[in-house]
Amino acid sequence: MTFRTRLLLIFAIAVAAAVGMVELVVSGQAREAFETMEAHRVNAIVTQFDKEFQRRGDEIVRTVERIAASDMARDIAISPESSDWVDRAGAQASTNRLDLLELVAGDGSIVSSAQWPAKFGYKEEWLTSQPDWDSKGAFLRSEELPDGVTLALMAVRAVIVGDRKLYVAGGRILDKEFVASLVAPKGMRVLLYRNLAPAFTPAELIDAAGPIASAILLRPLIEQVESQRKEAIRAIGRGASAETFHALPLPGMDTNILGVLLIGSARIDLVTLEASTLRTAVLVAVTGILMAILLSWWATARITRPVQRLAESAGRVAAGNWGTTVEVSSTDEIGQLARAFNRMTHELVDQRDRLVQAERVAAWRELARRLAHELKNPLFPLQITVENMQRARDSYPEQFDEVFREGTSTLLAELSNLKQIIGRFSDFAKMPAPEMQSVNLNELVTATMRLFEAQLSKAGISAAAQLDPSLHAVQADSEQMTRVLRNLILNAVDAMPQGGSLTVRTQALGSGARLEVSDTGQGLTPEECERLFTPYYTTKTHGTGLGLAIVQSVISDHKGRIAVESEKGKGTTFRIDLV
Amino acid sequence: MRLTPSSPDALGVPKGFVLTSWEAGRRAVFSADENAPGGRPFPDTIEIQMARSLRDQSADLELGKADIVELGPNELRRQVAGRKVWTSSPVRLMALVFGPRITDVRVREALSLAVNRTAIQSVLLQKQGEISGALLPQWITGYAFLFDPATDMATASNLVAGSPAGQRSFSLAADDPADQPIANRIQLNGRDAGLTISVAPPTGNSDVHLVEIRIPFADPPHALASIAAALGLPEPGPTRNPEEAYAAERALLEGFRVIPLFHLPDVYGGGPRVHGGPVMTPLGEWRFDALWVEDRP
Repeated sequence: MTFRTRLLLIFAIAVAAAVGMVELVVSGQAREAFETMEAHRVNAIVTQFDKEFQRRGDEIVRTVERIAASDMARDIAISPESSDWVDRAGAQASTNRLDLLELVAGDGSIVSSAQWPAKFGYKEEWLTSQPDWDSKGAFLRSEELPDGVTLALMAVRAVIVGDRKLYVAGGRILDKEFVASLVAPKGMRVLLYRNLAPAFTPAELIDAAGPIASAILLRPLIEQVESQRKEAIRAIGRGASAETFHALPLPGMDTNILGVLLIGSARIDLVTLEASTLRTAVLVAVTGILMAILLSWWATARITRPVQRLAESAGRVAAGNWGTTVEVSSTDEIGQLARAFNRMTHELVDQRDRLVQAERVAAWRELARRLAHELKNPLFPLQITVENMQRARDSYPEQFDEVFREGTSTLLAELSNLKQIIGRFSDFAKMPAPEMQSVNLNELVTATMRLFEAQLSKAGISAAAQLDPSLHAVQADSEQMTRVLRNLILNAVDAMPQGGSLTVRTQALGSGARLEVSDTGQGLTPEECERLFTPYYTTKTHGTGLGLAIVQSVISDHKGRIAVESEKGKGTTFRIDLV
Repeated sequence: MRLTPSSPDALGVPKGFVLTSWEAGRRAVFSADENAPGGRPFPDTIEIQMARSLRDQSADLELGKADIVELGPNELRRQVAGRKVWTSSPVRLMALVFGPRITDVRVREALSLAVNRTAIQSVLLQKQGEISGALLPQWITGYAFLFDPATDMATASNLVAGSPAGQRSFSLAADDPADQPIANRIQLNGRDAGLTISVAPPTGNSDVHLVEIRIPFADPPHALASIAAALGLPEPGPTRNPEEAYAAERALLEGFRVIPLFHLPDVYGGGPRVHGGPVMTPLGEWRFDALWVEDRP
């Protein structure tokens, strides 16, 4: 990943993160505001319910008091025959617009029941258990009817005439009409659960239209209110159809939870608001990211262009072009870096020039030393031979012919030696380019080692070839590779004057090949290993020091690598890898 | 009247009158028989309106549209000035009759023990008639008291608990809509015993029917045979003495297919223009010949 790409990513992430945080903050504040508003609306509904509950309760109390104060109630209370009044409650309930009305004698037996006319004579012990009804307001009660149980808001008053007593218990059923009377704002609805059975009964959860379809979803909330006996809040559903329900317990006279009032608030407004905020945030983020990309493209171009030029220049330096410089166009850190880079390359060039010059001088010195050494050896016999021939001619003329003959023979031999020395130098100078062809290294090794069999045997060296049969043919110059192997074998022979073991190995390296020549000679020091391939360097008392230089030159021309491993006293291994 | 007799014979022709007009199920007109034994009746014409509910008959009497009407229990609670009331002996049997679906005798007996006849007779029937566990009334047989109609809710509950669950639920219909409150009370009593009773409309096919049967004879063998025929019970054998009659009646009630509840009288009320009477014999037969009616002002 480039520096510019990284910068672009950083800018984009920074913008997206900033927009995301803004979106989170806005969404959170919107949710908080919505929930505050919802709480206000729920409170309004609860207040409205309380008022309606109170209003209806007061109305029922007044109605029951009116019936209790009537002559009819007095007549029933003092009547010795209750059977004459069995149908009065129905008429009174109808007249007074009550759903429920029972006239109950002082002993608790029903004289007349509007909601269940057949129940006359049955006992209503809950009425006689309460000593003072006149101070009681309306209360919730689970009332049994012929077709089931219902939840009612009731009031009771007692008529006392002398020692006779009559209870008037009247009320109204809390049903869908009651729920319909609670006007909920838009987006809210009111439900009433009538807790009339031991277990949750979906049909008892009603709204203004009757039982609701999805009652089962509210079961956990209702059961929570019943068990905890306090208000509870829970979100029902997901997404736009979600609703938050506030559930309030409605206790009866004996504190049992007889009903649960549920106020549902649709979350569609909040979901829509959040979705809108999210859309806006995404739009802002996308726009911001695009803007950031454009701006950062321009900005990073300004920032990275000098860095890029520095990187390119550093690459060129690494490639060997040490004279590379960078244009300095600013005075900031990048400019300082560019100036430092230019100084560094300048120093590098100077140092390289000095090093080349020094090496060249050293090479010339080494060459001169080597030439002097190589040429001095044949020149001394030449000088001795000529002086002997001059001495014989002056002092022993009769022996001059013989001396001349021997002298000329020696001169020719030494001249041949000089010629050979000059030829080797000439060969190194004129190393030809390799002519690549398919070469089987195993065959090359076998053939070359056969040439040295006699010499190796004479030197007391045991030779072994460990050849990899899976070795493929490689592209190489056969003649030059033969020369390489010959030089390495001769070096090994020179390294083992007391005899030893010579091992030549081949090994397949993928599509390439590895060639190793190991001896058990005296070995080399690490310093000697470092300088081993330097031209004219040799550890031997004879030789030009060009053999391994030629080997390295050939391997380099073959795009290969040569390495040496050696341990003093144990031997040396040359390893050549060809690709 | 409430009934809709299918023929003039079923309606019964009042003594001293002859039928002059018959509209089945609606109206019958009788004229005084000038040659009637014992002399011509006082009224010239009697018009009988049929299929009139007790409430309509009461309204007709109040509005002067009718001079003599049947009175239901509700009317008996009212004290109306100038009204005359004639009551016969208990000539109608009110009973529960089980259909074939309720095969478990424990359920039938449980309902018999659960019904609080006293409360119904005292309140809903306004003390009319007699509580009874017998098919024939006491005044005919003299042994009706041997059929104990007492309520025993504990025994009823035990019987229900031992019965199959499918037999505990059944429907009940009152053949006469005027008897609907009694059916409702029986439903409530049954519930206390553990029975689930649904009160059905009179026209439905119910498992149990609340019926009223008129007892047309004053002698036990004929009366018992008549009731057995009306209720679909086996015809009782001939009886020569009260012991055999008792045994025959006891046999009919074995298995609780029929649960006698009450023996009810016919009750008629007359408007202020009506004088003389009574309007019926102790057996409930009409006797209009001794009545006379004032002219309308």
